Amino acid sequence: MVNVLGRGARWLLVAALPFMACPLIAPAADPVAGRNKAQVCAACHGTSGNSANPAVPSLAGQPAQFIATQLIMFREGNRKDPQMSPATANMTNTDIDDLAAYFSAQPLAPSARNTAPARAAAGRRLSEQYHCVSCHGTALKGQQHIPRLAGQQFEYLRTQLRGFKAGTRFDMDGNMTSAVQALPDTDVEILADYLAGMK
Amino acid sequence: MQGQPPEMKGSTLAPIAPHLTGRPASGLPIDKLKVPKGFKAEVWADGVPEARSLTLGDKGTVFVSNRNLKDVYAIIDRGGKREVKKILKGLDVPNGVAFRQGTLYVAEKTRILAYAGIEDRLDNPPEPKVIIDGLPTQTGHFWKFIAFGPDGKLYFNIGAPGNIVMPGYIQGSISRFNLKTAKLEQYVYGVRNSVGFDWHPKTKQLWFTEHGRDWMGEDMPSDELNVVKRQGEHFGYPFCHQGDTLDPEFGKYRSCSEFTPPVLKLGAHIAPLGMRFYTGKMFPAEYQNNMFIAQHGSWNRTVKHGYNVIRVVVDANGKAKSEPFLEGFLTDPKANPPTWGRPVDVLVMRDGALLVSDDYNGIVYRISYKK
Repeated sequence: MVNVLGRGARWLLVAALPFMACPLIAPAADPVAGRNKAQVCAACHGTSGNSANPAVPSLAGQPAQFIATQLIMFREGNRKDPQMSPATANMTNTDIDDLAAYFSAQPLAPSARNTAPARAAAGRRLSEQYHCVSCHGTALKGQQHIPRLAGQQFEYLRTQLRGFKAGTRFDMDGNMTSAVQALPDTDVEILADYLAGMK
Repeated sequence: MQGQPPEMKGSTLAPIAPHLTGRPASGLPIDKLKVPKGFKAEVWADGVPEARSLTLGDKGTVFVSNRNLKDVYAIIDRGGKREVKKILKGLDVPNGVAFRQGTLYVAEKTRILAYAGIEDRLDNPPEPKVIIDGLPTQTGHFWKFIAFGPDGKLYFNIGAPGNIVMPGYIQGSISRFNLKTAKLEQYVYGVRNSVGFDWHPKTKQLWFTEHGRDWMGEDMPSDELNVVKRQGEHFGYPFCHQGDTLDPEFGKYRSCSEFTPPVLKLGAHIAPLGMRFYTGKMFPAEYQNNMFIAQHGSWNRTVKHGYNVIRVVVDANGKAKSEPFLEGFLTDPKANPPTWGRPVDVLVMRDGALLVSDDYNGIVYRISYKK
């Protein structure tokens, strides 16, 4: 992973962030406060939430409710990750709403991935066959608590799909887990390639 | 999604999820809530993220569960002001809560826990005793509703593990557990998922709400209100839906006459959840022993409905009819999301008021009546 901060320095930053005492009721989300709180996220998720690392998701342009839900799932331990678990451990609901408001308002940079046209066409057919559009939307841009897939990082997408298939990726209601059960590994590759290459 | 037929592959119907950080009531159109004449709906407590099932302690504490989060909250009424406390953390899908003889019972995904004497030590809850362990680790319908029957047994659902699948042994049923003998028995079968039930105060029969399958059409099949006449009854899933319609796949070679039909069809995809008989003294006399049902609202149809609380009246011949009781959450049936709130459970308080939980915002409302 390429970043300006060393691993240790990043955790210092996390620890030093001025997270507020935990009010039970979150006031309206504040994207400006979110931008300040998001500085530490840039090391992995890129400038303005546009990731340059195939294993790390872009947050720019994701629905706010999706970002908030996943931050909570990391904080509560339903999703586990060596970086995200400690990064979210002390976040308040207000921090989470602010971060979600900030990242959801950032434009997603066009994907740098060039998926071969034939493979993209095959991927599109699979996205219809497996009903991806039902929840993620016809343009696969996500909605509410459901993530945008179009232009997301390839390796991240592939890891999530594999995790859902194995039943190891947290799933709110079982819909994704059931949706991917019929996917052979080859289709996982094609789908991730297609989605990551979408402009 | 599972059970979605090829001809519906272009469908853009998707489940709706709660705002898990909670939303303060001050930012919501509470004044849009509508109740019948003489009734009043107000916010009783907010700041209860993903408020799901409700149960009442002996000393008046209201316990509130989570489904996607991991907590149980206590709400204590202190002279007109409510104190909201997170009392239990780190639970696994703690959707079910029930209270009996000083003990709070919490149903997780695979376990049922008991917290004895908890109402006296809300700030320092006791370690739980595990009452039941090893329930199925299924990927769908893994949240439980629990309640004590008039027989003193603990009743709970184990849902079907998916939308339309053959349930495994013990799944797709309501079971009951005898705490004295530690024996579990299946009570009724063919129940896709029930997340709300109660016993009629006079007949002592179990009434329960049930969600029908998805992806069988805009208006099919209807969700159900059922009554159990005898142990071992089968309510149809996955073979027969709404008492009269065979499943396109599992219903082949079967007949709906094999199964118990619902007392009332509530509407397709309308998602009835919590249900209680009204036994309080505050509401007009004709509400006595009526049912209140919280409807979480539809997602698997184009024009959304539900997102309300209904009143169900059963006449002397056993015929049930429903009418709206609490409305105003649904703002635009064709929008996404179509609503600003979603009722989950109802609870009759000692003063006769009715509490309603809303997981979308993390709010508990109170409905009262004055002549």
